[in-house]
Amino acid sequence: MSDTEEHDYQHEEYDANMQEGYDGEQQEQEAEDEPVADSGKAKGQRREYYDDEEEEEEEEEDEDDGEDDEEELSGKKAKKRAKHRHKRSAASRFLDIEAEVSDEDEEEEDEGDYGDEGFIESDVEDDATRRHHAILNAKRLDEEEDKSPEQIAKDLSRRYGGRAALHYTGDMNEIPQRLLMPSVHDASLWQVRVKAGRERDIVLSLMRKAIDVEFTPKPLQILAAFQRDSLPGMIYVEARSAKQVAQAVNGLVGVYPSRGIQLVPIEEMASLLQIKKQDQTVTPGTWVRIRRGKYSGDLAQVVDITENGEDVGLRFIPRIDLTPRDDTAVDGKKRKKTGLTTGTMRPPQRLFNYEEVIKVWGRKHVSKRNQVYVFQNDTYRDGFIEKDFKLSALILEDVNPTLDEIQQFSRKQDGEADTLVDLSVIAEASRKAAISVLQPGDHVEVFEGEQAGVHGVVEEISQDVVTINAEGLDLEGQKIELPARSVRKRFKPGDHVKVMTGQNADETGLVVSVADNVVTFISDMSMQEISVFSKDLREAAEVGSSTNIVGNYELHDLVQLDAQTVGVIFKTERDSFRVLDQHGQVRLVQPHQISMNRNSNKAIATDSEGHEIRINDNMKEINSENRKGRVLHIYQSFYAFLHNREYQENGGVFVTRTRSLASVAPKGSIVKPTGDLSKMNPAMIPPTGGMVGSGTMGRGPRDRHIGFTVAIVKGPMKGYVGTIKDTNGNIARVELRTGNKLVTIDKDKLRERKPDGTLVPLENRFKAPPPRPGMSWNSHATNPYAAQDGSRTPLGMVGKTPNPYASDAKTPAWNASSRTPNPYADGGKTPAWNASSRTPNPDLDGGRTPAWTRTPNPYASGAGSTNGGWQTPRANTTAGWATPGRTSSGWGGTSPAHDSGSAWGSSSTAGTWGSGGDSWGPASAPTPAPAQAPTPAVTGTPYPSTPAAYPRTPAGVSRYDISSYSSVATPAGGAFYNDEADSPMDDLPEQWLLDPELAPHMKRIKVEVQGTRHMNYLNGDYEGKVGRVDGAAQVAAGYEQTVMVELEDGESRSILLRYLVPVQPDKENQEVLVIDGNYKGVVAIVRESPELSKVVLTTKGDEQIKVFEAVRHHLVVLYS
Amino acid sequence: MNNSNLELDRVPANARSKALRACLLCSIIQTPQEFRRNGCPNCEEIIQIKSSTERIASCTTTYFEGIVTVVDAEHSWVARWQRIAKYTRGVYAVRVKGRIPEDVEAELDSRGIKYRPRDQTEQD
Repeated sequence: MSDTEEHDYQHEEYDANMQEGYDGEQQEQEAEDEPVADSGKAKGQRREYYDDEEEEEEEEEDEDDGEDDEEELSGKKAKKRAKHRHKRSAASRFLDIEAEVSDEDEEEEDEGDYGDEGFIESDVEDDATRRHHAILNAKRLDEEEDKSPEQIAKDLSRRYGGRAALHYTGDMNEIPQRLLMPSVHDASLWQVRVKAGRERDIVLSLMRKAIDVEFTPKPLQILAAFQRDSLPGMIYVEARSAKQVAQAVNGLVGVYPSRGIQLVPIEEMASLLQIKKQDQTVTPGTWVRIRRGKYSGDLAQVVDITENGEDVGLRFIPRIDLTPRDDTAVDGKKRKKTGLTTGTMRPPQRLFNYEEVIKVWGRKHVSKRNQVYVFQNDTYRDGFIEKDFKLSALILEDVNPTLDEIQQFSRKQDGEADTLVDLSVIAEASRKAAISVLQPGDHVEVFEGEQAGVHGVVEEISQDVVTINAEGLDLEGQKIELPARSVRKRFKPGDHVKVMTGQNADETGLVVSVADNVVTFISDMSMQEISVFSKDLREAAEVGSSTNIVGNYELHDLVQLDAQTVGVIFKTERDSFRVLDQHGQVRLVQPHQISMNRNSNKAIATDSEGHEIRINDNMKEINSENRKGRVLHIYQSFYAFLHNREYQENGGVFVTRTRSLASVAPKGSIVKPTGDLSKMNPAMIPPTGGMVGSGTMGRGPRDRHIGFTVAIVKGPMKGYVGTIKDTNGNIARVELRTGNKLVTIDKDKLRERKPDGTLVPLENRFKAPPPRPGMSWNSHATNPYAAQDGSRTPLGMVGKTPNPYASDAKTPAWNASSRTPNPYADGGKTPAWNASSRTPNPDLDGGRTPAWTRTPNPYASGAGSTNGGWQTPRANTTAGWATPGRTSSGWGGTSPAHDSGSAWGSSSTAGTWGSGGDSWGPASAPTPAPAQAPTPAVTGTPYPSTPAAYPRTPAGVSRYDISSYSSVATPAGGAFYNDEADSPMDDLPEQWLLDPELAPHMKRIKVEVQGTRHMNYLNGDYEGKVGRVDGAAQVAAGYEQTVMVELEDGESRSILLRYLVPVQPDKENQEVLVIDGNYKGVVAIVRESPELSKVVLTTKGDEQIKVFEAVRHHLVVLYS
Repeated sequence: MNNSNLELDRVPANARSKALRACLLCSIIQTPQEFRRNGCPNCEEIIQIKSSTERIASCTTTYFEGIVTVVDAEHSWVARWQRIAKYTRGVYAVRVKGRIPEDVEAELDSRGIKYRPRDQTEQD
């Protein structure tokens, strides 16, 4: 038997029963009594119904089975329905419903009974009836004993299940909600973790389970369960104990009782059920967006809302296809439909224009009713389409209508110039959002309500109520509570503001005018007027965009746009750039449109007078325009990008030809003493140092990995072999040997494939996107020096350094490791060094002890602090190198000083050396600038150089790329120099050269000048030059540490230590000094793989030759 | 067929179904089919939605949030808080958006029953 049937069946019995019980009683009254009975029904009904039911049960057995034939059954059904309606409808008592339904006699009786029941029961309940009932009752009880539990359940359900359906009292509605708050006597709520997205199912499953096991010996003991959409991943179960909850959820899929069944505190119980989303009230006039379909994303205005709030009538700008396919326009709706829906392009937004539409679609497709056009089942009014949408198909939050969009709405269809935009419309739309952006401390004004005009500072915000501390006149100092929606941020002309959101986000500027809630300000960046809503603003002191960096590119970077075009970024927007290309055109580019970041640091060009132009030079145009600016970039030695803050156009960046530039500075100062024109010709410059880099500058690929044969060792392409065709940052484009395919792949996933098939990690030193530091370092690190090493060495000895040191064959023999092998085996700790030196100089002990004790620490900390710095070379270049730019000029002037200084140094060291025997002179070399300072050094202190107290990243070292080291597998034998293996990321401390452990060999250390050009240190003339250290002495705090360097070209001068980087070994059998790590201070010979980051070395000495490995950048080549 | 089955039928089979509707007056959740077949088990008397698609559309809504199942209505605080303790056992919504049609409201009024919207807008 189906549900429906049973339901009806039930009522049918009920009807029959009533006939039985009351047949013949007061039939004649039925018509007149109807209204009266109806009113009495409310009270009597329930009871009466129960009674009926009792009898019904009794009769079930004897009557039902056979007597009712089908016909009667169906007839009764119909009748019964009608009756129910009649009975329930409040209005029906005034209607003559009987007329419709009272064809059958039965029916009339029925109605009569119904009406009379109440009457009888409430008024006259005669004894006979009572007795009758008593008998029936007893009978029923007897019968009930015999019934199966199912039968009882069924009966109960019939009795109680339908009860409410018949009577709605709403009796609980009178109780205020607060009186329903949970008390300690109530069961608790337990939070149960469930699989996100399954909350509803689980709650329903609980219900089903509860019903299922209800009449088993173990019914669920939970009282209720619920779920909230705003609380994903959890359901709440009401029960007396956690155990009952656990039992209830046991076995349900997607429930995680193991994650805890947590008690909800009693005070939080109610709020769990009170949670509501930020109410998305839709009222006529609200702005919404359409979620899906042809109009997806379009702004629409709510016109009306259906009663239950499900459907919303919207008004928005239609997108009518005015260029339908030919066949569709000709005939039939069928084809038209397909044409519309499958159209790939959606038509543009356009107000409905009757003439246009009939021209395209034909007159019969458009009909007109009153003021409304109907076209394709949509109605159009005033050019707008009016259409109903489901609420769920609309986006109600974050609608953020823009001024443009709203202007479209306010525009009249006939195209008459719309007057001022009705800003109140937008204000309304943005008002809600405005509440959420208020912060304590904001200046606000009240713009509506009683307090309109009052302004003050927000003290406190609690939900929708803000408390403001009023300012001005009589209200001064008063605290006023206001609804948040009636206040808005207040700005006055002259305020400096910053845009928080929207397309102008991060712009800053000075407010020039305020009109209602629209603030107009002049941008600091573009100097243009920008109007924004006050809600999007806040007062801000800072100037300019908060970020000039988007992706890997930042303001004033030279970027490659396509093969022929480069440009300079002159404005960064939220996710795009404005780029001025070399032809002077402005482009808007997205980061992905930039193929690479170009580096022109080393680029040079000549100006109109044949003088060299370098980056950062101040130049002026000699032709008509006469613009001045600082050179940002030089491209192909032909174009120069200049920047001048004073020009508004293109953020002050302009492009010109280098030939039309002249230096702003007087000529004299830029003519170099060595004013050799050949120097300016990159082609003629001997391939030394940085000149190599600059020579190749701007000539295409500069990544030396290009052309390498590589194998892919990771990812889906693993195992493929190919050739690197191009690189950009850490991304390489690899042409695969198979399939002739170009793939773009991370360099980390590539290994160089040697001809013999072995794989070698790419030395990916220059992972950081700006390849700026890259090239020059490469060129040093590899070839040129290998070649020059031998031949140039003598040059180095020309200097004033006492020869004995440089050429002293005993120096290596002195090597601590050979003499005192044990301390070194221990790991070369400072005390060990001390012991081996065997020069317990009183001076040293007295004056230098603190320094010594600090030895281990500065390095540790130095390494730590530098790591952060040089992982981001960019940060270094700006932050770290800022100062030297200024100091460089000072340095130029000190060159004479350095001459004398070195002379002095040499004389003094001679003495020291003579007396010292084992003491090492190199340390006593004074630095030129603080020439007064080095007294202690001269007084026979063998180790005058205190260890770096202020560790800083050496400028050159910042060019190392960590990742190349970290990717190197731990070599065999690594165990005995654990610290290096474990921390391959550490870097040289800034004052690495002054490490006392290196002092014995200082004068043989080969260094290279690096990083000067960028900062224009000594005009960058020394960039890339190599030489031996002549001497260095610790300078007083506050001075830049300098080192005497005897360059290979014979010149000897002092150079800031920060621009010196150790020259790393690049071939076997080179003599090197370990300058960091466990073997610090050890002199060794390169034995294996000098080109890898881990180098195998042997110690030098007569006895106990040790083999060990060291990180390559911890090595420095020694002059012999 | 017994009581349990009857009630089980009233538990919607598919919790994710978009079609589920909640009664605006008593917040019970059912499928539209169920509403049409049997009306609202609690307030049919008032809203009379049985067999009338139109009435179902105006007196029930798909716009509800949070579902409550009450196993033991008499002792459940949740049921009391939600004012569904006296109703038939079933699945209810925590929050139902919208108001009953005005005629129903008038009817309630005439019976002296206070109408409480189920959208939690009124807090007292």
